[in-house]
Amino acid sequence: MIVFVLQLVVAGLTVGSAYALVALGYHVILRATRAINFSQGEFVVLGGLVAYTIVHVLHASPWIGLIGATAAGFALGWVYERIVLRPAARNGDIAVIIATIGCVYILLYGHALIWGSLPQPLAPFTGAQGQAIHPGGVAIQEQSLWVFALLALAFAALWLLFDRTTFGKAIRAAAVNPVGAQLVGIDVNAARAASVGIAIALAAFGGTLIGPITLVGGTAGIAIAIKGFVGAVAGGLDSPMGCAVGGLAVGVIEKLLAGWLPYQAVDPVVYALLLLVLIVRPQGLFGRKDAVRD
Amino acid sequence: MSVPLLEVRGLCAGYGELGVLHGVDLRVGAGEMVAVLGANGAGKTTLLRAISKVEAAPRAGSVVFDGVDLASLAPQRIVRLGLSQIPEGRQLFGELSVDDNLRLGAYRRGRTERDESLRRAYALFPSLATRRANPAASLSGGEQQMLAIGRALMARPTLLMLDEPSTGLAPRVVEQIFAILARLRSEGTGILLVEQNAFLALRYADRAYVMAEGGVALEGSARDLAADESVRRIYLGAALDEER
Ligand SMILES: Nc1ncnc2c1ncn2[C@@H]1O[C@H](COP(=O)(O)OP(=O)(O)O)[C@@H](O)[C@H]1O
Ligand SMILES: [Mg+2]
Repeated sequence: MIVFVLQLVVAGLTVGSAYALVALGYHVILRATRAINFSQGEFVVLGGLVAYTIVHVLHASPWIGLIGATAAGFALGWVYERIVLRPAARNGDIAVIIATIGCVYILLYGHALIWGSLPQPLAPFTGAQGQAIHPGGVAIQEQSLWVFALLALAFAALWLLFDRTTFGKAIRAAAVNPVGAQLVGIDVNAARAASVGIAIALAAFGGTLIGPITLVGGTAGIAIAIKGFVGAVAGGLDSPMGCAVGGLAVGVIEKLLAGWLPYQAVDPVVYALLLLVLIVRPQGLFGRKDAVRD
Repeated sequence: MSVPLLEVRGLCAGYGELGVLHGVDLRVGAGEMVAVLGANGAGKTTLLRAISKVEAAPRAGSVVFDGVDLASLAPQRIVRLGLSQIPEGRQLFGELSVDDNLRLGAYRRGRTERDESLRRAYALFPSLATRRANPAASLSGGEQQMLAIGRALMARPTLLMLDEPSTGLAPRVVEQIFAILARLRSEGTGILLVEQNAFLALRYADRAYVMAEGGVALEGSARDLAADESVRRIYLGAALDEER
C-alpha cells in the first residue's frame, strides 16, 4: 500500500514539475504584462517537439535538445510578445484573452501540420527508455530524477535572476512601475519581451523534461495549461514559490486520485479542490492578501 | 546666454484627442535654476513629460538638449544623455529596496561608476543610508522624495527636472530639499523646477516662466517676476500673506 502511494506521488511530482514550470511562466508574464497567457501549455508541447527534432532528426544529444528547445522558447516568447501580446494589449484586456486563446489553436494545429498529430517518443537524457532505480521497491525513472533536479535548477536560476542581478531587477522595476522605469532609462518594452521570453523558455524547458516520460506532441497542451493555471492560482499567482508548490501539488493530487477514482472523476475533483482553496484563501496558499484585487 | 543646455521651441503635446501644450518656448542654461509656475491644469506636468517623452509625446516643435535633437530618441536614450526627471508622484519601485531603487537609477552604467554614485547619494541623504534594505514603499513622504532625487542623481544628469517636489511635505523637509537643489546648481547641474509654491520657487530660481492654458504667459528673472504686480496678485498673494 505505502509503495503504491509513493509510486503515485513520484508520478505526480513528475507531471507536476511541468505544471510548476507552466505556473511559473504564468507568474512571470502576469507580473510583466498583467495578462494570463493561455497558450502556455502549447509552448510546453512545442518545446518537446523542438527537442524531438534536434535529438531524433538532427541526431544531437538530449542535452543539446534541452538547451536548443529552451533557447528557441526564449526567442519565440520574445517574438510572441512583439506580434501578439503587445498589439493585443493596445485593444484592451479582452483582446489579450482572445489573442492568447486563439494562439492555443494556431499552435495546436501548427504543430500537427509540421510534426503530425500523433505523439512521438523522446529519448531520455540518460539511460534507456523507462530505465529506473528502485529505492524501497518504488520505481523511479532516471528521467524523473532529471526532471526534479532541473526543476530545482530552473527555480534557483529564476530566483538568482530576479533577486540578484541588475537586469532582473530592471525587469521587476518595469513591471511594478513602468513610468518610473522609463524615467531611469529602462527600456520597458524590451523588459516585457524578455519576461515573456523567459516564461516561454520555462514552458519549452518543461516540455523537454517530461517529454521522455509522457511522449511529445498531440493535444496534451490544453490540459497542461489548465492544470498549471490551477497550480498557480492555488499556490498564489504572485508568488514564485506558490506557483512551484502549487504545480507540483496539482500533479500529486491528480495521480493520487487516479489511483482510486475512475479517470472521469479525477479532473472534476481537482477543480473542486481548487474552488475550496479559493474560498478559504483567495490569494492562494503562498500569495499576499493585497494581490487579490489585481 | 550662450548655447542653452535645454532649448524647447514651439512644443505641442497632449493626450489622445486632447491638446494640452500649444507651442511652448523655454530655455535652461547650464548650471541655471529655472522655475515653471502656473495654475493647476496649465500644462506644467505635461511639459516635463513631453521633454522626457514618458507618458506624453511631442506633436510639434523641437526639444534640443545638450546640442542633440530629442525628436528621434527613445526615453531611455534621453536619460543616458544626462536629462533626468523626478516626476509627479515620485514613481518609485515600491517593492524594491532603497538600495535597489538607487542602483536602478544608474541602470546601464558601469559597476564602478554605480558604486561611486551610490556613495555620493548616501552622503547627500544620510537618512536613506540607514534604511537601505527597506522597501521604498515603507519610507515617509520626505524620505521618498529624497529617494526620488537620489535615484535621478544616480544617472549623473546635467539637467534635473522636478515636478512639484514640495507637495505634501513638512516645511523643514522642503527647506532641506531646496538646500540640496541649490547645492546641485552651484556644482553646475541645470535645474528645471515645476512648483506650485511660487514664493519658494522664486526665492531659489534664477529665472522663471509662468504657464497658462498650455502656453507661456510670462517669463523673466525670478526677481522681476517676484516684483511683478500680476504675478504677485495671482500666484504670490497667499504665499506672501503666509510669509507675513
Ligand atoms: N494622463 C492624462 N490623460 C489625459 N489628460 C491629462 C493627463 N494628464 C493631464 N491631463 C490633462 O492635461 C491638462 C494639463 O495637465 P497637467 O500637465 O497635469 O497640468 P499641471 O501640471 O500644470 O497641473 C489638464 O487639463 C489635465 O486634465
Ligand atoms: Mg502637475
